[in-house]
Amino acid sequence: MEYGQVIANGLMLGGLYACIAVGFSLVWGVLNVINMLHGSFIILGGYLTFFAWLHLKVNPLVALAPVAAVLFSIGFLVQYLLVNRVITQPVLTTLTLTFGLDMILYNAMNLAFEATPRRIVLDLGRLHLGGVILPYDRVVAMALALVLTAILYLVLRTSRTGRAIVAVRMDRDAAALMGIRVNRVYAITFGIGALMAGACGALVAVVFPITTSVTGLFLGKAFVICVIGGLGSVPGALVGGLALGMIESLASFWFGPQQAILVGFLIMLVLLMVRPTGLVGKKGYE
Amino acid sequence: MTEQSRFGRFLSATAVALTGTALMLSGVQAQTIKIGAPLALTGGLADEGRKQAIAYDMWLKRINAAGGIDVGGRKMRVELVQYDYQTNEQRAQQLAEKLIVDDKVNFLLAPFGSGHTKVVAGVAERYGVPVMATSASSDSIFNQGYKHLFGTLAPNSGSVENLITVVTRQMPNAKRIAILGREDVFPKAMATVMSDSAKKAGLQIISLEYYPVGVLDLATPIAKIKSMNPDWIYITGYSKDLVLARKQMQDLGVKAPVVTMITGPVYKEFIDALGPLAEGVTSASWWHHSAQFRGNDPWGSTKAFYDEFVAREKADPDYVHAAAAAALVALQKAIENAKTLDRAKVRDALAALDIVTFYGPIKFAANGMNGGRDLPIIQVQGGKPVLLYPEALKQGNLQSVK
Repeated sequence: MEYGQVIANGLMLGGLYACIAVGFSLVWGVLNVINMLHGSFIILGGYLTFFAWLHLKVNPLVALAPVAAVLFSIGFLVQYLLVNRVITQPVLTTLTLTFGLDMILYNAMNLAFEATPRRIVLDLGRLHLGGVILPYDRVVAMALALVLTAILYLVLRTSRTGRAIVAVRMDRDAAALMGIRVNRVYAITFGIGALMAGACGALVAVVFPITTSVTGLFLGKAFVICVIGGLGSVPGALVGGLALGMIESLASFWFGPQQAILVGFLIMLVLLMVRPTGLVGKKGYE
Repeated sequence: MTEQSRFGRFLSATAVALTGTALMLSGVQAQTIKIGAPLALTGGLADEGRKQAIAYDMWLKRINAAGGIDVGGRKMRVELVQYDYQTNEQRAQQLAEKLIVDDKVNFLLAPFGSGHTKVVAGVAERYGVPVMATSASSDSIFNQGYKHLFGTLAPNSGSVENLITVVTRQMPNAKRIAILGREDVFPKAMATVMSDSAKKAGLQIISLEYYPVGVLDLATPIAKIKSMNPDWIYITGYSKDLVLARKQMQDLGVKAPVVTMITGPVYKEFIDALGPLAEGVTSASWWHHSAQFRGNDPWGSTKAFYDEFVAREKADPDYVHAAAAAALVALQKAIENAKTLDRAKVRDALAALDIVTFYGPIKFAANGMNGGRDLPIIQVQGGKPVLLYPEALKQGNLQSVK
């Protein structure tokens, strides 16, 4: 079998993984909050996209923006009203809170939508490139993942809100002294994390059957990617995602599919011992 | 009247009232048969657990509407005690134990899937409680020497052999088969059983691989299969894995004249999720509603079960629904035959059961599995599952996948 196809598979999977992890990494790095809701946010985005397609005949790529906006508002409210109350507590407290909220959201979705796998039946065709087949929906998903990540990177670097987010991460009290409304910045960051999750969910709905039972899977992947790529940095999630996609694809090819996930975790363990800040991450935040 | 005698009368009145209530309550308690059911209402198997819940409810309503089960001349109502074990194996075990020890159920129903059925069966065996398996068909569950486990699904090998019969007869040139199975009790069993039977039938197994639980991408194993040019692609797993696999087959341009997925096409959600991609996929099932039976059970005929289900769920029932309801019917008949709720006697009655129901014949072999029936083979044609086998009931012939 062609290595070209394996590498192409890996890159496309990696793009999707990067999208999954970016929002999670941002929230963890900036707020020091491990957002257990992340997987459920992705699936919620997927369900909203699916129902928009099913009932309103809206193309998922068009639905992406409104779905992302809806998730942003949900994330903003969750942070502003709930997580902000415990934001200064140790990370395990906030984790417990988001864990509990996740259980509520997960069960609500289960009740409302039921766990039957749903899929958007949309055939966008394939791209044949020198012996390698690239399905368009995965290519678009990967491209959009890169674009969203790039936009996020620019926002953090150049916009006032972005710089405020970075400032709050560097030193919360100093930022407050500079007149930054810290609670609002936290809420915006969490909202952005949810937005990225929602956008990812919209892309996932085209590529993968949506069901509540995979929320834990996505969350787990986000963890591994953040550890591999490095926490809190947008390029880190991108690198981590692409790396994990390539690792799983190559491992599947060399050792058989049943070992693919195992190899991913083994590499994560090795990295934790050898380079705990991840491939790209530095101590602190840029 | 003196204070004392008034108080005395109050005391005796209270005593009478309390005794009366206690008698009444204990009388009420003794009037219901309790059946315990750990169900996966959340978690990875939530969709499948829900199917069982629907079937149980249908049977429960019917049996209680008729007054209950006849236990040696007295009709006793049935109460179903359900808990959500969240598709968590340890929790299934704990809840099974809780049902027996705390809720004091008379009998148990096993959860969905061979894996968790095994765990609950172990608990039931320890306590000597008869347990009905509604969706377990792997031999590895039934070869543990359990005396209290009875399952309404027939052994895996039966369906695979019928599948091979259909394909080898109608497409004799399909000789090279690629097998991809999920690393999970039932799907793996279906993959290995196919590998053994295919070899015996003279087919060439060009690939046999397994993918782990919780996989998000099957592109690489599928691309590998493509490079080997198989005549027959055989994939096992649960619905969402199969939907992903079929989609990625299309993504990568993988084609073969025969594509089998166990047990995707028998479920409506598989066909809904794939649309035109489901066309031509074959599968094996343990029951199909077009096989008509008449029996002495709460429905009386396959058609009655089908009609009630369609009226309630606006969709066709699949074998999970039928096998779950049939398990309760078997238990009911065993209780009626034993004329008692004594667990050992009911267990013996189950072992001796030989009846025909809306679901077909139910007769448990020595290991507790329902005897091999003529298990149907289906193929999705025109967006609907069409029966290819058994010969007497078939609705169409095997078509090549386009």
